[in-house]
Amino acid sequence: MATPDLELPAATLSATPGPSPAKGPTQHLRRNPPIAGEAEAIAAAQGGDARAFETLYALHKRRVYSLCLRMLGNVAEAEDLTQEAFLQLYRKIGTFRGDSAFSTWLHRLAVNVVLMHLRKKGLPQVSLEETLEPSSDDGPRKDIGARDLQLSGSIDRVTLERAVENLPPGYRLVFVLHDVEGYEHNEIAGMLDCSIGNSKSQLHKARMKLRDLLKSGLRKDNTE
Amino acid sequence: MSETRDSSGDQTCAEFQDRLPQLFESQVDFSKEEHLKHCDNCAELVRDLNYIAQQAKWIMSPIHDPSPAVWNNIESALQAPEPEQKSR
Repeated sequence: MATPDLELPAATLSATPGPSPAKGPTQHLRRNPPIAGEAEAIAAAQGGDARAFETLYALHKRRVYSLCLRMLGNVAEAEDLTQEAFLQLYRKIGTFRGDSAFSTWLHRLAVNVVLMHLRKKGLPQVSLEETLEPSSDDGPRKDIGARDLQLSGSIDRVTLERAVENLPPGYRLVFVLHDVEGYEHNEIAGMLDCSIGNSKSQLHKARMKLRDLLKSGLRKDNTE
Repeated sequence: MSETRDSSGDQTCAEFQDRLPQLFESQVDFSKEEHLKHCDNCAELVRDLNYIAQQAKWIMSPIHDPSPAVWNNIESALQAPEPEQKSR
């Protein structure tokens, strides 16, 4: 099954999330109710209050950093981009109008910072898929393998995070955005400037690759 | 390599797996998929992929904090004449 290449868009070179998006990721919003004191801190930060900005950093640093870390798989780069995301926030916070949750808006800003970083690194010059995952074993498979290695009940946080870190960046992006962060395919397609079908296809391949990685880990554990 | 064909004889594993991305996206009721009633391998594949998607939502919630140096660098950058410059 031929899949169009997923490339990072030039449009994402602007790290500004734009006017507050009309609709954020459904699961993301559900998991992130309004934070006490956040609205006041936003208003004060928009007025130039440095302490209020520090409050916003304290409220959101973990989520932004975790996003960067998962998308990059590298602590130093993740910290650099967390720093960059909050510097962008400082400059752009005046454009936040409150049409959507602040966390959603900030999250989109952070995603754009990561995408811009990956683009600067040159990853999208060639198809992410071809560059990073040239093997042919990502297509539909008929031979599923041993059935004695059940994933159910066997995955803990560390195991899954390690497997996600080992995904090719193109797959990791879509997996993190959809399955972890809760963005819908139409939103991901907009961020990555690809088709919705491409986003769905990449997600499926990412899950298939994760399954392979997790099963490989189980087999290794069983033989040790 | 197994190549199970469902009872109606019109769908192989490859054909079923080709449809999987769309089936997941449309949140179809897999228990009604004829192919899965006769193919243990594809049934296991569907179980695993569902499990991975579910686990990702619940066990990958944010747990990491950046080091204190990140805020220190942000603070320094904001106080610098050119805030665009990263200090790291």
